[in-house]
Amino acid sequence: MRSSWAGATMRGCFCVTESLRKSTPAARLNRYLVGGPPFLFLLLFFVVPGFIMVLASFRYPGEFGGLAPLSAADPNILQGLTLETYRFFFSDPIYSQVFVKSIFMALATTLICLTMAYPLALLIARSPKKSRDLMVLLVILPFASNFLIRVYAWMIVLGPQSALSQLVNGLLQGLGMEPVRLLFSPFAVLVAMVYVHLPFMVLPLYTNLEKHDPALLDAAQDLGASAWQRFWRVTFPLSLPGIFSGSALVFIPVLGMFAVPDILGGTGDMLIGNLIKEQFLGTRDWPFGSTLSIMLTIAVLLIAWFAAKLAGRRGSYA
Amino acid sequence: MAFVFLVQLNCAHAEDMLHLYNWNNYISGETIARFEAQCGCRVEQDYYSDNEEMLAKLAAGAAGYDLIVPTGNAVEALIRQNALRPLDKSLLPNLHNIDPAYLNTLFDRGNRYSVPYAYTLTLIGYNSEKIRELDLPVDSWAVVFEPRYLEKLKGRVTVLDSQRELLAAALKYLGYSVNDTDEAHWKQARDLIIRAKPYWAAFNASSYIKELTVGNIWLVHGYSNDIFQADLDAQKAGRGFRIVASIPGEGAVLALDSMVLHKSGPRPDLAHRFIDFMLDGRNSAELTNLIGSGNPNRDALQYIRPEVAQNPAVFPGKAQQARLEMLRDLDRHQRRVLSRIWTEIKLR
Amino acid sequence: MRRGMGLWAAALAVYAFLYVPLAIVVAYSFNDSRLNAEWVGFTWHWYDVLLHDEAMLAAAGNSLLIALISSLVATVLGTMAGIAIHRYNLKSLTFMVLTPVAMPEILLGVSLLLFFIQVLNLTLGMLSIVLAHITFSIGFVAVIVRARLAGMDESIFEAARDLGASPWETFRYITFPLILPGVVAGWLMAFTLSIDDFVITFFTAGVGVSTLPLHIYSMIKIAVTPEVNAVSTLLMLLTLTMIVLAARFAPDALKGKV
Repeated sequence: MRSSWAGATMRGCFCVTESLRKSTPAARLNRYLVGGPPFLFLLLFFVVPGFIMVLASFRYPGEFGGLAPLSAADPNILQGLTLETYRFFFSDPIYSQVFVKSIFMALATTLICLTMAYPLALLIARSPKKSRDLMVLLVILPFASNFLIRVYAWMIVLGPQSALSQLVNGLLQGLGMEPVRLLFSPFAVLVAMVYVHLPFMVLPLYTNLEKHDPALLDAAQDLGASAWQRFWRVTFPLSLPGIFSGSALVFIPVLGMFAVPDILGGTGDMLIGNLIKEQFLGTRDWPFGSTLSIMLTIAVLLIAWFAAKLAGRRGSYA
Repeated sequence: MAFVFLVQLNCAHAEDMLHLYNWNNYISGETIARFEAQCGCRVEQDYYSDNEEMLAKLAAGAAGYDLIVPTGNAVEALIRQNALRPLDKSLLPNLHNIDPAYLNTLFDRGNRYSVPYAYTLTLIGYNSEKIRELDLPVDSWAVVFEPRYLEKLKGRVTVLDSQRELLAAALKYLGYSVNDTDEAHWKQARDLIIRAKPYWAAFNASSYIKELTVGNIWLVHGYSNDIFQADLDAQKAGRGFRIVASIPGEGAVLALDSMVLHKSGPRPDLAHRFIDFMLDGRNSAELTNLIGSGNPNRDALQYIRPEVAQNPAVFPGKAQQARLEMLRDLDRHQRRVLSRIWTEIKLR
Repeated sequence: MRRGMGLWAAALAVYAFLYVPLAIVVAYSFNDSRLNAEWVGFTWHWYDVLLHDEAMLAAAGNSLLIALISSLVATVLGTMAGIAIHRYNLKSLTFMVLTPVAMPEILLGVSLLLFFIQVLNLTLGMLSIVLAHITFSIGFVAVIVRARLAGMDESIFEAARDLGASPWETFRYITFPLILPGVVAGWLMAFTLSIDDFVITFFTAGVGVSTLPLHIYSMIKIAVTPEVNAVSTLLMLLTLTMIVLAARFAPDALKGKV
């Protein structure tokens, strides 16, 4: 579990800091002073509760929700620890199918966000310093409104009587094709997922691109590199940490999202988030909900590890 | 410093305060104001939009609610969890107003813990104009489940995003009880749902009111008070159609919401006063006039607007009443099996 | 220059994508119809309704207070974490900072709920929401700050040290100004996340404390009226004012200067 995914986003910093890590007592003190407070806070409010959840996945669901007691006076009540939920999970391929589907949704969202965010972030980073703040602000501002209302806005934009729907269906009709329904469809879910997560891609990308030294690009141009080569051989490799941060900030929340498929999805748009939510808020089956969550966390770490491997190979070309 | 301030905020409760954990929009503001004036206390409300949500929160240990308004099966779960405080009926002189048909139910024999508040039915709601044009029968669940009818309604139907409610409708259509727990029957219901699913626009529990009113959706499997709301909105917006409710001949789910006292509530005295206050016909009628909920209070009828009182979904006739069923709570094994079936339905 | 044009066109398209739904939200807050569906006529009615809706206003106030406090604390802790991870290569801290980001929100919400109630015996309310929000925000701030530090030329830090600067002085005069844009970006993100969070707040909110997302969610059942559009519009205006004021009184904080 030694966070290889973290390694992916953190790549590039370990080599640089190597020379700095002199283990003088003062340095060690600083290390505790700087790292200690966040460490303690997260130990208390993340690791300990997380441990409670892991424990919950090995317990029986309570008859009325929550968790069955670890020990009970009544022998008829199921109690203690069990691998039951894990057995249930692995004995049925349907749950893995939900996982695969969600991962594809998250991948698609991440790629679209990256494609949309990159030109924007690049433009902001290369704009005069005065206008940068305003441009960043314009990216964030929509997100000062409420999340649910943003999703609702898409209901209006995609509704059957909206201009967009009429335009699309007019075109389809012209081509002699069946009209489509935009709302309550996987398309609607994808659009809203991208919409909701876009700033999480733009901000880290911008933060990274903004500090690139323009002299590098000038040098490349002097050496005869075309605009495309300059981008592909200089800007892009240097922006990889930003891409990784941004992708992580988009990919992962999408995996846990349930409100968007709930509101905009059609009859087949169930993602893992919905399944997990259902266990806690619908089925009152907390142990199975915890198991699904743990499986999800493991899946995320595996994907990140894989991405880090890939990035390592990709990075060596740069 | 900020934390000290927050902690103070946390315990800044006034002396006389009733904590009510209620459905959204399930009491009129005027009723609350009148009660506050009468008892000289404040009413603080928290809301839920789903019984399961409320149960989940209580199961996790949320506390401090004096009064909750759960549906029958949730009352049953709370009683069996030993989470409720028995009622002191000597403090409830207005209890005799309640129609005996809604007392002594399966989930709380003798009403030791619960007093009926209001009820909703799960039925078919439809756009009067569209359904007339298409000439579809709305007196049966067939219109929701049979492809031969659904073909004309493709993409214009929503069903509730609720495992229990949808399964109940399918079971009713197949001729079983809504509380049938035979897995073979459940699988039959599942196949029925999967066959009909391609024609539905969405599983929807939230926005179908609006979609009905706007005219995007023509037929829903939904709650009676939501359909009532959609009709009010359609009239107010001057639409050329009405939204009409129909109780299918096969029967439907009746959800009786009752007032119960939670054990963690610090003010059972105020809670009793509130219950008796709500048992007064006038206060009870206010809710029905507002949201079109069914009313178990015989004394309330005189205060209910005539056009509301005539709505069969608000006051079903005796024959229809006989075909209504209340949902019982499922055990943990059944819940897991149902969730598995639901996942399959959603994924297919 | 053609390339510049292409960038502008792409960026404008993205801005349009961001703002068209938003424009609809704002426009419909003035719509004289209960339905968020089609334009009927102009009205201030929904703002009037909003001004008299105590529950909604209280929820909005709670949301702002929670977002301010939690984002500030998370920014301090997240910046420390970002620096510590970058400089001292603390693997366990890296793991702890990033995993909350890597977990479905619902899991964090439920685990915190169990923890608050069963372990801390804390009454759910403002404090529990704030603590929960800090927990999930730290990671986002740390990631952004760390991205800012990564690849930065380390020789200036060494130079500062060689010139006899204490660690605090190095931080105050070299590191902090350099990472400030990242810190501000992180703070904005933490604020946004907090004011908008629904799932975790849902689990960690207690009796009598509601936030705006919780309140709006509770309205969904009845259909969202334009009152919600009105409150969203005001919220955006408020945030905008806040940022403009911040820019006026503390220009350095927003000027991402290197």
